[in-house]
Amino acid sequence: MSAATPAASSSGGVSPVNASAPDVTQNVSSIDRLVLEYLRSRGHKDAERALNESLESGGVDESGKTVSAEDLIKTLAVYAQKPSRPGDNVLKESANVLQELTAMGNPPSIQNLIASLGTVGAEEILSVDPTDKEEGFRELEAWVEGSLDMYKPEFRPILFPIFCHFHLDLVQRGFKEAALRFYGTYSPSLAPMHHATLHHLSTLLLPSHVQNDDDAQRFKNEKYVIRMSRSGFSLLVGWLTEGVGGEASGAGDGFSGEKGKRGRAAIMRVVNNHLRFDVTSASATAVSPNAWEESTGLLSQLIPQTSASATPNPHAFNASKGELKLGPAPISEELRAETERVIREQSVLDRDPNAQYDLQFLRPPAIPGVISPTESDMLPYPQSFKTVDVQREVEKVRDARKRIRLEPSALSSVDMNSVQGGAARARGLPSICAYTLHDVGEGAPCCTFSPDLTLMAAGFSESYIRLWSLKNEKLKGLRNDFSLSSVKDSGSLSKIQQKEGNTTRKLVGHSGPVYSLSFDPLGGSAAPPRYLLSASADATTRLWSLDTMTNVVAFRGHQNPVWDVQWSPMGIYFATASRDRTARLWSTDRTSCLRIYAGHLNDVDCVRFHPNSLYLATGSSDWTARLWDVQRGACVRVFIGHQGSLSTLAISPDGRYLASAGEDLAINLWDLGSGRRIKKMTGHTASVYSLSFSAESSMLVSGGADWTVRCWDVRGAGGPGKSRESGVTESPITRTIDDENNETSDLLATFPTKRTPITNVHFTPRNLCLVAGNFLAPDSR
Amino acid sequence: MSKPKAKAAQTHQTGIYKSDSVRDVAESLGIANLSETVASSLASDVEYRIHQVIEEASRFMRHARRTTITTLDIDQALRVLNIEPLYGHNPDNPPVFRRALPFPNAANVGPVYFVDDEEIDFDRVLREEKITLPKGVSWTAHWLAVEGVQPLIPENPPAIPKDVAQEITKSPPQANGAFPLTPPSESRSTVKKQQQQQQQLVKQVLSRELQLYYTRLTASLLPPTDSTKRTAALASLRNDAGLQALLPYLIRWLGEGVVTALKEGAQTEADGRSLEVLLDVVSAILENNTLFIEPYLHQLLPAILSTLLHSTLPPSHATHLRTSAAQTLSRLLTQHSTTYPSLSPRIMKTLLVALISSDKSKGTREGAIRGLVGIGKEAVRKGLVEGGGVKVVGSECALGETGPLVDSVMTALHVLHAASDMPESLDATDDGDTVTMRQLQDVLGNFFAEKLYGDKGWALGILSSIKQQS
Repeated sequence: MSAATPAASSSGGVSPVNASAPDVTQNVSSIDRLVLEYLRSRGHKDAERALNESLESGGVDESGKTVSAEDLIKTLAVYAQKPSRPGDNVLKESANVLQELTAMGNPPSIQNLIASLGTVGAEEILSVDPTDKEEGFRELEAWVEGSLDMYKPEFRPILFPIFCHFHLDLVQRGFKEAALRFYGTYSPSLAPMHHATLHHLSTLLLPSHVQNDDDAQRFKNEKYVIRMSRSGFSLLVGWLTEGVGGEASGAGDGFSGEKGKRGRAAIMRVVNNHLRFDVTSASATAVSPNAWEESTGLLSQLIPQTSASATPNPHAFNASKGELKLGPAPISEELRAETERVIREQSVLDRDPNAQYDLQFLRPPAIPGVISPTESDMLPYPQSFKTVDVQREVEKVRDARKRIRLEPSALSSVDMNSVQGGAARARGLPSICAYTLHDVGEGAPCCTFSPDLTLMAAGFSESYIRLWSLKNEKLKGLRNDFSLSSVKDSGSLSKIQQKEGNTTRKLVGHSGPVYSLSFDPLGGSAAPPRYLLSASADATTRLWSLDTMTNVVAFRGHQNPVWDVQWSPMGIYFATASRDRTARLWSTDRTSCLRIYAGHLNDVDCVRFHPNSLYLATGSSDWTARLWDVQRGACVRVFIGHQGSLSTLAISPDGRYLASAGEDLAINLWDLGSGRRIKKMTGHTASVYSLSFSAESSMLVSGGADWTVRCWDVRGAGGPGKSRESGVTESPITRTIDDENNETSDLLATFPTKRTPITNVHFTPRNLCLVAGNFLAPDSR
Repeated sequence: MSKPKAKAAQTHQTGIYKSDSVRDVAESLGIANLSETVASSLASDVEYRIHQVIEEASRFMRHARRTTITTLDIDQALRVLNIEPLYGHNPDNPPVFRRALPFPNAANVGPVYFVDDEEIDFDRVLREEKITLPKGVSWTAHWLAVEGVQPLIPENPPAIPKDVAQEITKSPPQANGAFPLTPPSESRSTVKKQQQQQQQLVKQVLSRELQLYYTRLTASLLPPTDSTKRTAALASLRNDAGLQALLPYLIRWLGEGVVTALKEGAQTEADGRSLEVLLDVVSAILENNTLFIEPYLHQLLPAILSTLLHSTLPPSHATHLRTSAAQTLSRLLTQHSTTYPSLSPRIMKTLLVALISSDKSKGTREGAIRGLVGIGKEAVRKGLVEGGGVKVVGSECALGETGPLVDSVMTALHVLHAASDMPESLDATDDGDTVTMRQLQDVLGNFFAEKLYGDKGWALGILSSIKQQS
C-alpha cells in the first residue's frame, strides 16, 4: 500500500525536458509556416490540409511529447483499466497491474513495451498528459454531484484530496499553465471548505516548490483518510472500475470514451497511492454532518503512532491512552487543617455562623467517573506551605461562597423578551466590565489581569510591557543604590523602595513584540502577584519581579518566536508554546527547560494547563489540539476537527472540558476524558482571541476580532438555528438565512463593543467577567 | 481538445508576478537577453517566495491580534525565514501606494502603482510647527454588560434595531476563511457612520458668495471709501435679507473695529469717522427686520457702551458720537427690552457707575448722562436726581462754565420737564420762590440750580416731577 511513487524521484529529470519543449516547437512552427506558405503558393490544397492537421494535433499535446508516447498511453490505459476481477483492482498497485498484464498473455508488442518501461515506471507515462487529469476530475465531480442525496456528503470529501494531488502532480511535472488552468477551473467549488489549503497550494508553481513545501510533502507522503460507509465505498469502487452509477448513461461520452478511461486511471492512481478509506459499517445517513471534519484529512502524522493501532483514528488513539486523572488536585493535610483553622477563627471574629458551612468548599465533592490524582501524581512542589498558601485557600473558600451563580440553563426555557426572561437573563448572564486601551500605537497583542485584579499588564508590538495598577496605587520598585549589608529584614527592604512611583510602569527588556503575559497564581485572589512572565518574538521568555520591577531571568531555549506562556496553576512551573513546533515546560529556578513536548506539525500557538497541573493542552497551526502528560512528556489526547489554525484554548475549572477556538471561526468543546468533540459553536464573524469558563464551568465567554464578546451555554445542546428568537414556525426561507448567519443555538448573548477587538477575557473566581482590548481609532489605516 | 491555442494564451497571464517584471529587473541590472523560460520560471519562483513571506507574516499578524499586515510583520517574517530584513520601512508610517493614470499609448501594461512620495516644503513645515507628542497608552473601564443587559452608555455601541442586527449577522462570515478577515461587515460600519453623523454638530459653511459679500462690505464701510459706497453698504445692511449667517462675523468685526479705534486714544479724525460709521452699522443691523439679533446683544452692547462712555473721543466728533450712541442704545432697548427684561436695569447700572464714581472724566460723565437720556425719563430721574449725578457734575464744574457736559445735563433736565415757552425768573425776594430755590439747590446742587433760576415754570415742573415719582 505504501509504495512510493516513482514520480517523486524522477521528476527532476522530467522538468528540463519540458522546459525546453516550447522552444523546439517554436522553431518547428516557423519552419512549418514557411512550408505551408510554399504549399499554398503552389496550390497543393490536400497536402496543406494534412500538414495543418498534424500541426494542430501536435499543438494539443502541450507537453511536447511525441505522438508515439500518446499512443502508448492510450494503449496502456485500455489494458490497465480492464480489471481481471471487478471491485478488487482499485486497491492494487500499478505494478501489480503491470504484472497481471504480463501474466494475462498479451500480444508480444505490448510485452516488449512493458519490459522497456521497467525502469521508468508505467505510472509516470500514464500521468504525463495533463489533460487526462482535468477530464478525470470533471468526470468525478459530475459523478459526485449526480449521486443520490444521501451519498453526497459522503462523496464530496473525495474531491478535495484528488484535486490536490492532481494539482501537485501537474506542478511537479512542470505543467505550470495546465496546473493554473486546472486550479482556476475546479478550485472555486472547493474553496468554501478548504480555502486555506487551496490558497497555499496555489502558490506552488515550480517542481522545486513542491519538493520543499511541507504541506505538499505531507500530501505526497501521507495517506489522506476518508471516512465512508460500506455501501458508499462499494459504489465508488464500482464507478472507478466499471463506470457505473452516478452520471446517467448517455450523458456525455462518460467512461466509454478514451479520455474518460485515462481520467479514471488517473483518479485510480491517486486513490490507490494516496487515499485510505476508513470504511464504517454505519449507514450513510447515520454519520453526522460534522463528522467528516474529525475523520478526514492527512491524519497519519497528526496522530502519534502507536504500535497497536495501524489505522490512524483519533478515537482509537485516545482510547488507547487510557483514562486521565481529571479530578482536582489534592491539598496537603497540613495546609487543609491550617486553612480550616483560619476560617473557623474568622467566623468567630465575624460572628458569622454560616461560615462553618464553608468548610465543605475545601472538600469538593467527587464527580462520578472522574479520577482524582493523588499526591504522588503531582509535580514536585515544596513540602512546606507558606502564609500566602493559606491566604489563597481561605480566599478561595470565600470566593466560592460569594460567587455570583450563573445559570445559563435557565435561559433556554424562557422567552427572552418576557418579564421572566429579564430575571433569567440576570441569573444566567454575567456582568462584564470592559477595559479599553487607547492610543495603542502598533497594537497590543496581549493584555492580562492579575488573579487578584490589582494589576493589568499589556504587551506591545513595540517590545515593551506596561503595568497598570487597577486600584490606582503607586507601583514602586527598588532603588539601585543600596548596600547589600544594610538589608536585614523586611523593614530595611522597604526602606530601599523607591520614593515616588506612578500608577503605571513600563517594563523594557524584550527585543520583539510581546505576545503573551502571565501573572503568577500563587497569591490567588488573596495577595498581589509577585512575578510576571512574558513571551516574545525574540525567542525568549522573561520573568519579571514585581517587587523590584525588573527583569530577573531570561529563559532561552526556543529557536523561534514564543507565542504563548502560562504559569501552572500552582506556580513554580510554566509552559511556553513556540513557532519551533514545540511546547516546553520550565521551572523558575532553572534556565533550561525541563520537558519538550514535540509532535505538532506546525507552530504551537497556545498552551494551557489543566487545573490540576497534571496535563497540558496545546493548540497548533496544524489544526489540532493535543493534551500532554506534563511529567511523561507524552501526548495523551489529540483533538482533530478544526478546519484552521487554533488561536486560543481554555480548560474548564472543573477539569473536564476543553474549549478551543480556531481560524475557522468555530469554538469546539471537547470532552477531555474521551477526547471526543461535544459540540461545535459558531457565530463569531472573525478570529476568536480569547476564551474563558465561568467558575462553575457552565458558561463560556469568548472575545474576538469582530469586536464582540459572546456568551455560550456549555451545557446546552447546541446545533444550528435560532428557533427561540424567531418563535414562528420556520419557513424554508428563514431556514436558509439561519444557515447563513450560522449562529448555533447555544449562543446566549452577544455584546458588541465600539471598535475594540477583545484580546483577553477573564472570569474572576466570583464570576465577574473582565474583558480587555485595544480601541482602534476609526482613521487608523 | 479543439481549442487549446486560445486557452493557452489566456492562461499565460495567470501568475500574478509577470515574467515581464523579471525582465525589467534584469535589464536594470544590465542583463539584456534573458530567455523567456528563465524569466517565467524566475517569476514563478519570486511569486512563490513572496507568498511564503506573506504566509509567515500573516502568522505574526494573527499573534499580534491584528487584522492587517504591517511592515513589522513582514520584518519579523523575513527574520525567521533567515532573510535580511528590508530596512527603512517603519510601521508608523506606512507607504501609500497610488495608482498611476493609464498610459494611453501602452494600454496593455495594466495598472501601475507607485509609492506616493510627498514633496516637503521646509519653509511651510517650519512655519506650521505642528509637532504634537502622541499621548501615551491609557485605559478606561466601563460596563459592557450588567447582569446580561448592555447599558446604553456612550462607551457602548448604540443598540441596533433587530432587523438591522439580523442583516449584520447575515452578512458574510466567510466560513473557513484562510486569513482572519476584517471583522466589521459592511452594513455594520455604515450603521456606525450614520450614528456618528447624527451625533456630529451641524457645521455651517459660509458660502463663497457670502464670503465675498462680507469682504466687499467691510472694505467699503471703513473711511477711506467715498460716501456713496458707504451709504449703499449701509442700506444693504439695513434692508437685505439672508445675512443671518454673516451676523456673527459682522458683530465680531464691529467689536474689533471699536476696540482698535478706541485703543489708540481715539484722538484722530479718522478714528472718529470710523467710529461714526461703526455706530451707523450697528443701527443698520438693528433696523434690519430679517436678522435675529438677540443672541448677539451681549457682544453688541460693549461696542456701543464703549463709544458712549469713552473718556477721550476726538473732539470734533465727540458730541455727535455720544448722541448717536445714546440713540442707538435707546433703539436697542425699545426693541429688545420686552424679550430681555433685565437688559435696561443692567445698562442703567453701568451708566450710573460711570456717572457717579469719583474719578471719571467729563467725557465719560457726559456719555453716561446722554445714555440715561436715551433710556428715558425715569432713568434720568433716578440717575441725575436720586443718584445725585447732577450734584456730582455741578460740583466739578467751574462757575460759568459751558460745554458739552453742561449741555447734556441741561438736555437731561429738559427731558424731566420741558422748559416754559415764556420764561419767568424766580424772585429771590419772594417767599415762595425762595423755598423753590432752596429745594432746587437741595436736589440739583448750586451750579445747576442757578441755571434754573431764570425759568420759574421749568423749575417748578422739575420739582413736581421729582416729587411725583418719589
